[in-house]
Amino acid sequence: MDPSVKPSALLPAVAGGDVGAFEALYDRYSSTLYALLIRVLGNAEDAQEVLQETFVKAWTSAKMFDALRGSEVAWLISIARSRGIDRLRARRIRVDREDEAGREISTVSGFVDRSGGADKAIQAEQTVAVRGALAELPEAQRRALELAYFEGLSQSEIAARLSEPLGTVKTRMQLGMKKLRDRLQEYR
Amino acid sequence: MTQHDEIEAIAALDAVGAATADEVRTLDAHVAGCDACRRARDEFAEAATFLARSLEPVPPPDDLRERVVDGLKPVVYAEHRFRPWWLATAATLFLALWGWREVGIRVAREHIIEQQAKIRGLSEERDRLAAQNEKLASLASPDTRAIALAGQEMSPTASARVFLDPTHRRAIVFFYNLPSNPADKSYQLWIIRGDQPNPQSAGVFDVTGSGNTTLSIDNLPVATEIKALAVTMERRGGADQPSEKKFYVMGGMS
Repeated sequence: MDPSVKPSALLPAVAGGDVGAFEALYDRYSSTLYALLIRVLGNAEDAQEVLQETFVKAWTSAKMFDALRGSEVAWLISIARSRGIDRLRARRIRVDREDEAGREISTVSGFVDRSGGADKAIQAEQTVAVRGALAELPEAQRRALELAYFEGLSQSEIAARLSEPLGTVKTRMQLGMKKLRDRLQEYR
Repeated sequence: MTQHDEIEAIAALDAVGAATADEVRTLDAHVAGCDACRRARDEFAEAATFLARSLEPVPPPDDLRERVVDGLKPVVYAEHRFRPWWLATAATLFLALWGWREVGIRVAREHIIEQQAKIRGLSEERDRLAAQNEKLASLASPDTRAIALAGQEMSPTASARVFLDPTHRRAIVFFYNLPSNPADKSYQLWIIRGDQPNPQSAGVFDVTGSGNTTLSIDNLPVATEIKALAVTMERRGGADQPSEKKFYVMGGMS
């Protein structure tokens, strides 16, 4: 595969059956998706199964990707999160996610990193930037969004978890998302 | 609040999976014919991925990469070298059967996912109806207290009735004759507490047309801490504290 191919060109190439593009896609985004799935599911075994499902789905459905609607990484994240939350609800995993995720992170340091230096630098820069965007949210807004996004809780469940009125929780999530959407323009 | 504002508010919740089944149906129906709201939904969805992208990347095990990539190659690479006719026929038959099986498995998986999504939607709808029934039943509870809120200087003809269920710490508020709020403003209901110096928000709502609307409140403070309830108009989406002491309706606990 041509190394000069831009990130946004990978999925169209995958849709055309380019295995090299698929491997590049995996190398570029698997670490981001795996971190998300460990955060959602709380254990490596489930996270690996869902990561595999995610990339199989990407391979079979790449033609469905529409660059006008969003970025490549957002498309992959939405597949991974959706399947992760489905798995979480189906199996009703009850583990201490933070402890488990910490153990996973501490045991993976020896793996070979195939992603290119330029990719890594761009990803690291983007990670810092999105953390900055999230850091600007008030704690209460960020917490409500995280409970919905990573734990799949409904509005009512979040209100009960935070002991806050439902209307307050909805307002916080909406304000938080509006702020993140405003920041979106800076990363395009 | 315009319909587009309402749809954007739903899209914001949907991006993190927090919209209810009803809200998702409303959103889907609207964006099918509205490019601006479809763009807004896509932008919210993209923005929600910031939550995932802020996590420290974790490389998956190497053997997973091999399993994923190797699993694709039989589908993609069919070699076309010369072979005896019977071998080609057998290979074609094998590939056809294998492909048919794979397609069958894939279709079944997609079907399961669709069914799971439908079950989730129905489950949410059932929970919503159960919650609604429970709230309505609580109105008839002997413990339920009715509180009248009277129109104030901003809307003298307005009124509201609060049905407070102290056992479950929730309430339903019926508002009457409130003026419609401008598109860039929202009404906000405040609880004035005896145990805290500042009012606490109990929810944000909009009024259009008839001037009547209903608001459900959960997780209220215990009834003995509620001194009064009041409504102000704030910027769109609500404020942390009332910006002005201009009340639309207000009433105290007797």
